[in-house]
Amino acid sequence: MSERISFSDIYWGLIGTLAVIVFWEFAARGGFIDASIFPSPSLAIESAAQKLNGADVIQHIGWSMYRVLVGFLLGAIAGIIVGIAAGWYKFASFLSLPLIELFRPIPPLAWIPLAIIWFGLGEQSKFFIIFLGAFFPVVTATYRGVISVDPLLLRAAQTFGLKGAGLLLRVAIPGAAPDLATGIRIGWGLSFGVLVAAELIAADRGLGYMIMHARLLGNVDVIVVGILLIGALNLITDGIIVWMIRKWIGRWHGV
Amino acid sequence: MSDSATNTETAYIDFRNIGKQFGFGDEAFVVLEGINLSITKNEFVSIVGRSGCGKTTLLNIAGGLVAPSSGETIVAGHPVNGPGQGQGFVFQQHALFPWLTAAGNIEFGCRSSNLTKPQKKDLVKQLLDLVGLSRVADNYPRELSGGMQQRIAIARALAMDPEILVMDEPFGALDELTRIELQDELLRIWEVQKKTVMFVTHSINEALVLSDRIIVLAPHPLGVHMDLKITMPRPRDRTDPEFNALYKKIWVGLSS
Amino acid sequence: MNELHRRYFYTAAVFISLLLAWEYATGNGYLKPYRFPAPSQIAKAFVELSNVGFPRDLTIWIHVQTTVGRIAQGYVAAILLAIPLGYVIGRVPVLEKLTNPLIVFGRSIATLSLLPLVIVWFGTGELTKVILIAYGCFWTMISNVIAGVKYVDKDLINAARVFGVKGIGLYWTVILPAALPRIFAGARMALGVGFMVIVGAEMIGTIEGLGALIMEARTFYRSEVTIVGMLIIGVIGFLISSGLGRLEKYLVPWDTGLDEVRR
Repeated sequence: MSERISFSDIYWGLIGTLAVIVFWEFAARGGFIDASIFPSPSLAIESAAQKLNGADVIQHIGWSMYRVLVGFLLGAIAGIIVGIAAGWYKFASFLSLPLIELFRPIPPLAWIPLAIIWFGLGEQSKFFIIFLGAFFPVVTATYRGVISVDPLLLRAAQTFGLKGAGLLLRVAIPGAAPDLATGIRIGWGLSFGVLVAAELIAADRGLGYMIMHARLLGNVDVIVVGILLIGALNLITDGIIVWMIRKWIGRWHGV
Repeated sequence: MSDSATNTETAYIDFRNIGKQFGFGDEAFVVLEGINLSITKNEFVSIVGRSGCGKTTLLNIAGGLVAPSSGETIVAGHPVNGPGQGQGFVFQQHALFPWLTAAGNIEFGCRSSNLTKPQKKDLVKQLLDLVGLSRVADNYPRELSGGMQQRIAIARALAMDPEILVMDEPFGALDELTRIELQDELLRIWEVQKKTVMFVTHSINEALVLSDRIIVLAPHPLGVHMDLKITMPRPRDRTDPEFNALYKKIWVGLSS
Repeated sequence: MNELHRRYFYTAAVFISLLLAWEYATGNGYLKPYRFPAPSQIAKAFVELSNVGFPRDLTIWIHVQTTVGRIAQGYVAAILLAIPLGYVIGRVPVLEKLTNPLIVFGRSIATLSLLPLVIVWFGTGELTKVILIAYGCFWTMISNVIAGVKYVDKDLINAARVFGVKGIGLYWTVILPAALPRIFAGARMALGVGFMVIVGAEMIGTIEGLGALIMEARTFYRSEVTIVGMLIIGVIGFLISSGLGRLEKYLVPWDTGLDEVRR
């Protein structure tokens, strides 16, 4: 996962991508596949542009991103705090780990009906689901990071007079940072996927809603555009996170 | 077996009837028993012995990382009841904090002192110069070679201005050439910053090159098997016949 | 053993006290029964679901069967396609470079966002759901197969060649076994993905299946049924991951446990 991208990787990658796009365009425009139900990207964008309002799309994107960000931040911060506490204090782990293990196998999406029961159909239910999506991976990764800090580092810090909370803050947490970073990346990916599903099922704005609405109207082109948009956003945000992680711990951890 | 001065008035590190066992009752595993040892100020003492003779445990007790089952340790006039009371420690695995630069690691060593920020910066710079690694001040441990890492570890321990320096086979994980280089380095540093040193090693050679005094610990019978004062002037010639005579003597002492 | 027993005891104690507190709270009006149905009600709902079913005649077991059946079909399809494809791609560097962006993008597409599209193509029947599951599982699986095959330790391959193994023999004796741990990891992840996809997919336009069950129940204000459904989903999720984990240990005992290298 940590290889340098070589020139030939980019070169061949581009060729592969172009080949797929060209093939798809050819098939759609050339009538080999029914373009009304499987349009190529350019066809989709073309016809969708007529039905969609640029400002509306931006709004949908805005709403989706807003939800993901809020839900993710809530889940990640909670996950980090609980993970650190459970990893460092035995008492905290006794309290929290069993509950976490109990609820973990339940996919976040399965909480949607209950979330609606508790929070109604508004934004809060979505925040909650996305929160769940982020919480579990982050808490697991953080916990593992804290408990697997090299004990030698802790001993070394002790010889310099560090103890208790000082050890936690100055050694355990930095030591857990790489695992924590991985957890954040995974958590974001899950949050994103959960967001889309949540918006498909119960929303009146956002990209997921945009797709659902388009289906009701039979606008396959808008659906395709929506799908591609979501995919692109996912890729871009993941790339941003990877970049941030690299800046944060890349030099001393070497990923 | 020659007895060195156990004059407790000049003892800087004083082990009084130290015993350590792991486990209880029938399952007890006794590692140290009845150890009485005095080390004077600025003495460089090496402890050699086979695996299981308790040398690392003794070091950990001096460093306050392990509490003895019996007896007490006095360092610089005060009893040892925990780490961080002035015992600088250098481990075999460098134990540098990977998220701090070389300079950052050294600064960590002086964090609990009363120096001001600029004073700390100066100290770090001084120590980096002392170990000859100013040019890698901003590099992270993973970017440094094994020899460099250990030198930074030594600098970090010195940054604490420790009363004693405890070193647990610090060069054990290095290749032979680097090891010899670092032995010379250590002596050079020690000449500049004289400290009382307790040095554990498997290598008789290393002990002879470095120390004022060599203590041989043994597992059976438990305790100090030999306590030799080394009076050869430094730097010591590894080919000197006296060196080799001592080597033999210790070798025999270890094997019996 | 003492430590372990103590841990179980604490866990059980925490759970039981929570359950008791919950029961008490709903009974005495501290918690609204609609939002927090009492454990006793949940238990009753479970019995009802087993015998009478919700909606009528669709017992919990039918729901489970339906859901698991859909997962199984989609999952198997994905695996059968991903393993050979991934294998070939992983061994031919040029192919890997060609397909890499495609795979990365395919993986980035939120599987459930495809639901409306697939419904347009194939309606709201079983096929749609199976296709969706297959899509989700496929990309995860193929990524891991490719990685597993690509990163076989060269020393291992060379060691085999020194003993005269070549061609097909290399695949069979070295590459496949060395890649298996990673492939299994991919299989485990893919199943998790498939499971998540189906739960979501069943919430739209179906009445049979666990996802449909919990959604329907909410519409009829039967929150205790929803909770039973969620717990069953959780149990299945747990069985899936631990079951595969155990299978993995059995079939691939040499796994060095490179958990951290996961993608």
